[in-house]
Amino acid sequence: MTITEQPVVPAPRGSHRLTTAKAMVEAIEIEMERDPLVFYLGEDVGPYGGIFSSTTGLQEKFGKERVIDTPISETAFIGLAIGAAVEGMRPIAELMFADFMGVCLDQIYNHMAKIHFESGGNVKVPMVLTTAVGGGYSDAAQHSQCLWGTFAHLPGMKVVVPSNPYDAKGLMISAIRDDNPVVYMFHKGVMGLPWMVKNPRATDDVPDGAYTVPIGEAKVVRPGSDVTLVTLSLSVHHALDAAESLFGQGIDVEVIDLRSLVPLDREAILESVAKTGRLVVVDEDYQSFGLSGEVAATVTDVDPGMLRAPVARVANPDTPVPYSRPLEYAVLPRQDRIEAAVHRVARA
Amino acid sequence: MTDVPFPALSKESPSAEGVVSTWFVRDGESVQADQLLAEVQVDKVAAEVPAPRAGTVHLLVGEEATVTQGTPIARID
Amino acid sequence: MTTTTHDTPQIVGLDDATRLKLYRDMVLARTFEEAILREYHADKGPGFDIGKGLVPGEMHLASGQEPVAAGVCAHLTTDDAVTATHRPHHFAIAHGMDLKKMAAEIFGRETGLGHGRGGHMHLFDPDTHFSCSGIIAEGYPPALGQAFAFRHKGTDRIAVAVTGEGAANQGAFHESLNLAALWKLPVVFVVEDNDWGISVPRSASTAVPSNAVRGAAYDMPAERVEDNAVETVYEAAGRAVARARAGEGPSLIEVHTLRLLGHFEGDAQGYRPELTDVPGRDPIPTYEKTLRDAGVLDDDKVAQVKKESQDRVEEAIAFAKDSPLPDPADATSYVFA
Repeated sequence: MTITEQPVVPAPRGSHRLTTAKAMVEAIEIEMERDPLVFYLGEDVGPYGGIFSSTTGLQEKFGKERVIDTPISETAFIGLAIGAAVEGMRPIAELMFADFMGVCLDQIYNHMAKIHFESGGNVKVPMVLTTAVGGGYSDAAQHSQCLWGTFAHLPGMKVVVPSNPYDAKGLMISAIRDDNPVVYMFHKGVMGLPWMVKNPRATDDVPDGAYTVPIGEAKVVRPGSDVTLVTLSLSVHHALDAAESLFGQGIDVEVIDLRSLVPLDREAILESVAKTGRLVVVDEDYQSFGLSGEVAATVTDVDPGMLRAPVARVANPDTPVPYSRPLEYAVLPRQDRIEAAVHRVARA
Repeated sequence: MTDVPFPALSKESPSAEGVVSTWFVRDGESVQADQLLAEVQVDKVAAEVPAPRAGTVHLLVGEEATVTQGTPIARID
Repeated sequence: MTTTTHDTPQIVGLDDATRLKLYRDMVLARTFEEAILREYHADKGPGFDIGKGLVPGEMHLASGQEPVAAGVCAHLTTDDAVTATHRPHHFAIAHGMDLKKMAAEIFGRETGLGHGRGGHMHLFDPDTHFSCSGIIAEGYPPALGQAFAFRHKGTDRIAVAVTGEGAANQGAFHESLNLAALWKLPVVFVVEDNDWGISVPRSASTAVPSNAVRGAAYDMPAERVEDNAVETVYEAAGRAVARARAGEGPSLIEVHTLRLLGHFEGDAQGYRPELTDVPGRDPIPTYEKTLRDAGVLDDDKVAQVKKESQDRVEEAIAFAKDSPLPDPADATSYVFA
């Protein structure tokens, strides 16, 4: 007798089940084995294994010379990664929370992102900056922000935002191999951590061995015909839950997971909106001057006539993330807000 | 037939309860020795549960189930 | 560290060849900056329009600070890294940067180091591992990474990180000193104390009389060179460079130097009452006299060094002026590799 809710389906051949966190670690491990120039540094990435399990077991495997605990000196160690990348190494530097960008932003946007340009292409900075984003667990205003719109706004860095184990592994391998600085933003809510509300899609079958997910390629994660819903990261899961519920109410939603913000896959957005004529953008980041406006402009820059209804945006209403749960949930783009927005757009 | 018990993460209170956070295998799947079966948690301490030997795994509790340390959570035939 | 190819220098009076090299490097840097000054101001008028002319934008000249660059870089090869500041020319030249590519970049030409994307505050030269940061103190952290990479490769190459005294009150300065000392990175930190953070004197910005005392906070050897004399800098840098190459970790050198000109061209320096004394403190004529007295230089030799410098500089300026400007259609190139 077995007690389990899972159907008895064997894992696909050549794959294994991983959480998003473990998929990320597996990608780093594969690349560190392949290339001795790859190393990882950050706060609590050694024996602790990363506060959000981004480096579990790596120091044990690769030693303290390649998986390095740093002092709480983000400017110094991110700058160190930049200099090492300039000299041909492949560093991965972890900024524990994206919210901490304020203490080291100069190294990120004036140095990491600009050296290739200022040198006229003569100096490359092949590094990855990993950072945890997002709220939903009452960590309040200084530890819950997404800020990917801010990183994506500043030229010179690629920005990737995986939402699931498959993309987490494939995008990490792509990021490490890329000759540009890549900001790799993982939402704490998609990591599959045992100590946080766990999304069922945060654990999934992942192919064995190395594979890449191309940077700059969005993915239709649910095909549909009535409304295009463009989103990313944890909001993909809320959007898929909403889409299932809406399907029962007669609305067929197409969900696009952007996966990368820089470069942005504008073709995927246009292709879907050309089909549905209706667009909802779901973004956990602040609404104004950010991703949701950029996605809307992607359509209106080409042909506003594609839209049969005004664009709806479900984003943080330009408010610091509150601590108290009912307040926090009120500003996050959760399923109820998403469904209401789709209804508005579908009716219009 | 080998039982896979919930590991004793809390030595101070052997009867403490924990949670099976994540199953990394499906019921009825063939597993190798030492393959990762589950991640479990008691209070703030998390641990990985490897397969004690190769065979066919049968899951005895569901994900998020609360069980007492030492209780079998899977069986390998 | 797997190899050490440099012996610890025993300085018992410098040999003539070294003294001549120090003099040459200083003269070349000064000659270059005099030419830039001439070209910069040639067409800024009527009045002064910073955006006008063949060399537009801010121009921070290092005249008076040449002893620091010449004295430090004499211990380096182009395999070593130098990270300089918004006032970078003397270090770039002393470290062996190609004058033509450097001039062309300052003139915003396609043939410049950065194809005209960088300008004079953003000189990046992979051939000499030279880079700049226009942001105060923020050039220090990347230098740590260059040093880290050099050590990882098993070489005894080092990184020299330069800032001004105003930078020593920035967080990046202190974070970098701590991390470099903690990880014993092969770095030499150089602080050019020219007394002025734009218009603010050191006495109004810094709680300690010398930034060398700050080395103690990071268990790092540190010394201050008080006389802006190239040989004193050379000796102090020799100790620091040897220590870095030997894998013993970073050191800090502060040099009390002299900013002969304004913070940038166009700075009227009304805040600087001591300015009338400044020309008499120019370190190059002073060193020239020392070398004449020692018999290393005479009229002919001085003329020869100056002529060689003039020729090289004017050739570089002519190259820059003859080079094409970048195509506006390519303005968005090089954002990504």
